[in-house]
Amino acid sequence: MSATIDINSVTKAYGALTVLDDISLSIEAGEFVVFLGPSGCGKSTLLRMIAGLESVDKGTIHIGGERIDTLPPGKRGVAMVFQTYALYPHMTVAQNMAFGLENLKVDKAEIDSRVQSAAETLEMAHLLDRRPTKLSGGQRQRVAIGRAIVKEPKAFLFDEPLSNLDAALRSRTRLELAQLHQRLGSTMIFVTHDQVEAMTLAHRIVVMHDKKIEQIGTPMEIYQRPATRFVAEFVGSPAMSMMPITGIVSAQSSDQKGATLEVEGAGMVATQVPLPASFALDGATMGVRSEDTHVVQPGADGLNLTVTVVERLGERTLLYGKLDTGFEMIVEDSGRSTVRAGETVKFDFDRSALHVFDGTGRAYHMAEEA
Amino acid sequence: MAVLSKKNRSFSPDKLTSNRALFWIAAVFAIVMIAPALWVLGLSFKDNTLLMRGSEAVFSAPYTLKNYTDLFHSSLVFRWFLNSMVVAVGQTVGVLTLSSLAGYAFARLEFPFRKTIFVIVLFGLAVPEQAVIIARHQMFSWLNMHNSYLGLMLPGMSSAFGVFLMTQFFRAIPKEIDEAALLDNTPRFRIFWKVLLPLTMPAQATLGIFTFLLAWNDYWWPLISATKKDMYTLTIGIASSQRNFAQTEGLGFLAAQAVFASLPVIIVYIFFQRNIVTAVSGGAVK
Ligand SMILES: Nc1ncnc2c1ncn2[C@@H]1O[C@H](COP(=O)(O)OP(=O)(O)OP(=O)(O)O)[C@@H](O)[C@H]1O
Ligand SMILES: [Mg+2]
Repeated sequence: MSATIDINSVTKAYGALTVLDDISLSIEAGEFVVFLGPSGCGKSTLLRMIAGLESVDKGTIHIGGERIDTLPPGKRGVAMVFQTYALYPHMTVAQNMAFGLENLKVDKAEIDSRVQSAAETLEMAHLLDRRPTKLSGGQRQRVAIGRAIVKEPKAFLFDEPLSNLDAALRSRTRLELAQLHQRLGSTMIFVTHDQVEAMTLAHRIVVMHDKKIEQIGTPMEIYQRPATRFVAEFVGSPAMSMMPITGIVSAQSSDQKGATLEVEGAGMVATQVPLPASFALDGATMGVRSEDTHVVQPGADGLNLTVTVVERLGERTLLYGKLDTGFEMIVEDSGRSTVRAGETVKFDFDRSALHVFDGTGRAYHMAEEA
Repeated sequence: MAVLSKKNRSFSPDKLTSNRALFWIAAVFAIVMIAPALWVLGLSFKDNTLLMRGSEAVFSAPYTLKNYTDLFHSSLVFRWFLNSMVVAVGQTVGVLTLSSLAGYAFARLEFPFRKTIFVIVLFGLAVPEQAVIIARHQMFSWLNMHNSYLGLMLPGMSSAFGVFLMTQFFRAIPKEIDEAALLDNTPRFRIFWKVLLPLTMPAQATLGIFTFLLAWNDYWWPLISATKKDMYTLTIGIASSQRNFAQTEGLGFLAAQAVFASLPVIIVYIFFQRNIVTAVSGGAVK
């Protein structure tokens, strides 16, 4: 079973502190949506409002067309997996999963069969009689997911469920969650501040920042066409390098595809990004991702980078350094790079992969190919 | 933990000697503590008249069971034992029930003046019984509740310590557990009863044991409230049978009564040893 979720102009404040301001969002049935954002941006709060653990100050929430923000948590047909798992410590794994169904007066035989099948799905049939204290972190996590599955909810809500796992287990569980979603086809909302989780799991990512939704889009849209400077800097590792734009040589020439800019540290840059006449120049920046840069031969055209830190990632090498003007920049080199800290190298960047941000942080991209 | 200390014991000679030293120190303390108890036990098997000459007689034969047969023939001792049992058990159940409910309320519910009321409860920790006993006596006498089980139990049921302990314990349980239960469609009382209360068992055990022992050994309030012989608790009853100067007569009989009176306490200790150790060591021993 899966259902649509419609969040309509939802606002939340704790006393004088507004945490969410007029949030609207529609989630399709069966969609996997990730709320991504820095710590404290209100991701958990929004999720808990859907679950019914926080009240809604203004606005409405509908699940499957039914208004639910006035219902108690247990009547909303959602299941939640907590970061701390929140298993009942005094109950066995089987009892943990059965408890919610018993409250709903589900038939005993039906409970048993659901618990059994969830345990098989999650490969933990041998753990059913254990207490949570006798389980590893990863196993507890499975139980928490199992407890959600047996309820056959209209939607699953996950609040950073992977953040207490070690790196290897985290990536494995991530994969399993994706598979689980494929099998169940349920609507899922997943909260994280880990962009890798967001990129790999989501159909659509909701990037949140400062009480607002910054952008909603597929992982590729978010990565390649970030709507704002915040999204551009938050998503992607290493972070996008930003250079100040000091002037516009031509906003949009007819023969060229985009504007030619005067960029501090890089001189004249012919971009493929068309800009409107109303472009707010004050505080505008040009962004370059490290993968769109490359080191060039000493004699060739390019910019100087004085390397301060070399980060070898195996398949590629990241050079952290400063331009002649003092701006920090991250440049990518091949995995076999011999560059060392302290050296100065020449690099160039791909003119067709530039991002332009105006003074308000709004992003401009090259025209989409038709 | 156990594995670690075993390792230490076999590999470190320093640890070995320090363990031995600890053992002997503990042994000396244990002997000092248990000697008077054994003394009383010994006295209880001696003839009263022999003891009038001096209690050293305890070290030599003859021994007798007469004190115990006398005890079982004096009908009131059993009545007192029953009274003590009713009062101690009733008081314990009352304290556990009230403290758990109040603790849950203070830890989880929002209600007006919650903080103020909690502070007032904490003041209760600082008020000695002596300060209120006359007023309490007056109250119970107006209510006509002296010489009743309820009269004996009620004052001990308002346990500031119990409320404080349970509040702290409920507070320590992560809120997510309640929230998970809410999402599991659990009614509020069922969350309290089925989810949270079982998690407070260690605290319940501690509080229960202490309350039982306190109630069983209580002397002052029963002394004031129970004036009829058949409403005496054991402590009052035994004291009341101690009449002659310096207890030169009937010392053996008195000792037998004391042994009889301490049986439930000893049983409680034997059964709840682990809980008591945990409680006294503040949870440091696991
Ligand atoms: N019960 C509360 N009372 C007051 N303020 C709160 C409460 N809960 C959350 N907040 C505030 O609301 C804001 C959003 O909190 P929220 O937990 O939703 O953030 P988050 O995006 O989930 O962050 P994280 O990634 O750290 O979990 C924070 O500034 C937080 O301090
Ligand atoms: Mg959070």
